[in-house]
Amino acid sequence: MKKKLFAGLLTVALAVGMLTGCGNSGSDDKKSGSDKKMSFEIVSKGFQSTYWQAVYKGAKAKADELGVEINMVGPNTESDVADQVQMLNSAINAQPPAIGLAALDTDACLDGIQSAMDANIPIIGFDSGVPDAPEGAVYANAATDNYAAGKVAAEGMYKGIKDKIGNGKVRIGEVNQDATSESITQRGLGFIDKMVELLKADGYKVCVVGNDFYVGKAKGADAKEADADVIIEVAVPAETTTSACQQVAEPVLQKSDTIAIFGSNQVSAEGIVNANETLKVCGPDKIVAVGFDSGSVLKAAVTDQTLFGAVTQAPVSIGENLVQLLYDVSNGKDVKDVDTGCQWYNYQNITDEEIAQNLYD
Amino acid sequence: MNNNSIIKKIGMQKVITLGILLLLLIFFSLANPTFRKYTTFLSLMGYTYYIAFMAIGVTFPLLTGGVDLSVGTGLICYALAGGYLVVYKGWPVWLGLLIAVLFGVVIGLFNGFAVAVLDLPPFLATLCTCMITRGLGSICSNGTGVPWPNGSAEGAWFRNLFRLKVGGVSIPIGIIWVVLAVVIMSIVLNHTRTGRYVLSIGSNKEAAKLCGINVVRYQITAYVISGFFAGLAGIAFAASFATIQPGLGAGFELDAIGAAIIGGVSTAGGYGTVTGTILGVLIMSLLKTGLPYIDLQANWQQIIIGIVLIVAVMIDIIRSRRVSA
Repeated sequence: MKKKLFAGLLTVALAVGMLTGCGNSGSDDKKSGSDKKMSFEIVSKGFQSTYWQAVYKGAKAKADELGVEINMVGPNTESDVADQVQMLNSAINAQPPAIGLAALDTDACLDGIQSAMDANIPIIGFDSGVPDAPEGAVYANAATDNYAAGKVAAEGMYKGIKDKIGNGKVRIGEVNQDATSESITQRGLGFIDKMVELLKADGYKVCVVGNDFYVGKAKGADAKEADADVIIEVAVPAETTTSACQQVAEPVLQKSDTIAIFGSNQVSAEGIVNANETLKVCGPDKIVAVGFDSGSVLKAAVTDQTLFGAVTQAPVSIGENLVQLLYDVSNGKDVKDVDTGCQWYNYQNITDEEIAQNLYD
Repeated sequence: MNNNSIIKKIGMQKVITLGILLLLLIFFSLANPTFRKYTTFLSLMGYTYYIAFMAIGVTFPLLTGGVDLSVGTGLICYALAGGYLVVYKGWPVWLGLLIAVLFGVVIGLFNGFAVAVLDLPPFLATLCTCMITRGLGSICSNGTGVPWPNGSAEGAWFRNLFRLKVGGVSIPIGIIWVVLAVVIMSIVLNHTRTGRYVLSIGSNKEAAKLCGINVVRYQITAYVISGFFAGLAGIAFAASFATIQPGLGAGFELDAIGAAIIGGVSTAGGYGTVTGTILGVLIMSLLKTGLPYIDLQANWQQIIIGIVLIVAVMIDIIRSRRVSA
């Protein structure tokens, strides 16, 4: 009996010791934090494409300018949702004045977002941001309006295919890397919706087939596949890699009625370009292929007109605006969403200064 | 009678695999006319090369009763390391290719050491190197994607090693290297001491040890072969696809191991052939290329490939029961 009592007391003592210990170390951190530079945690979607490198470049430049530090982390691939959730949790544990977040999957990040709210750490979204986040968690976003960017791609493509429609059924392909992330789905849907709108305005019947998610969300495509003048076929690979995107792009490119194809990010556009290496079906007077973002492969493809054109975001500007917003929000300023914009480019204007600054290798 | 003995000589499993292969070819060709195009064959080959090299290599650890899970992330790691030196450091392409293969050999040695000397379970040891190479790949490439020279860029010649362009026509000459690898490794497996010892280690490790076979040495050899071919697979992957992204490759090893098992390599070791493995590879790559042509959504493709694997493993189990009965 005595032993048990002793053990119980010891446990309580230990627990109290641990709790107070934690409390102390926490306040120590804060003290030392105020002496040092302000340091922000940024959780990105990864570093695998040069696009993210450009975002980092912009963020780093802005951080140096403002005299703050940034710690930018990201999972190995854009499929690693669970890894990103862990990175968000460690970012919160570091107790920064604010966190930058480009969520791969908002639902998976919800717990982390809630604990950031509980700890009063403001979140700034960037790139695809944090769609459908709980009210009050995300203070502002530095992002491309992806739905609008998808529309820009549709408008650009339509100029190239207008004359090819009307003589029998034709097909427009779209390769989307996934059906989960906000940036890709918004872009994919923006493209489809604008294309449907343009086609219907010219009196054509349109039908959307392929991936269930996009078929379900597309607006205005009410024709049946058999009666449609134009079929928009959406292909989504099982994993977010160039080779998987290539695999789903090939059958679409090989269909005899395909007149155009759109790859809605760097990875899927590269999949199309690489598929064309063997198929040789894209180019002037052939299939009108449109890409998104840049990188050395896409830039070369636009220059030699394999790609009819592409849409570029402004990654450097996304990075800069992100750090500015982080800085402002932690200094108690009011912050608002920043649309960082996008541009259509093709072989004619690819070297123009205002385009070239947003293209990266 | 005569027919039976021929089948027996080739092996029942290989006959079945060959039959399935032909059936799949006929099925896809009938289901979608565009599948019959020459260009489809070209891209089918593009998916075949790297899986083929990986599978030929991984056959050897499998035959010893082990496994090598590091070939998938490994091949990406080697291609990233070699490509980084070529693209960002200006090294000549041939040196980059050599680095990729050497890197594979080093990791193979490491795997062999962990399994044979440290006596770690192969599954565990190579799972660790799988993770290590995944991280190492990102570090080697500084976290960026690596676009190996392409199109008219200087150094793009190495892509011709697999797809030679003659007057606008692409010829998939990578087939030559795969056939060569199959022939050489078949001879190694069936007609050299190394091959016989690898098989006997897989059949019964203790008995092999008692017979005076240097088990440690030949186990290490098996993993080095696997690493060497993973390096070649890295080159084939770099030649067939546009950009190599860090973090890729997890799951590739299952294509290779699956192919070997479909081709009749026993999951317990001690039984299997390189020609069987290559038939399994063709089934895997045919499924991967063909299923999108019958308008099947990507997630269904994975389910079907999984089911094919279960059937192959069941055939293996039934066979080993018969042998022991």
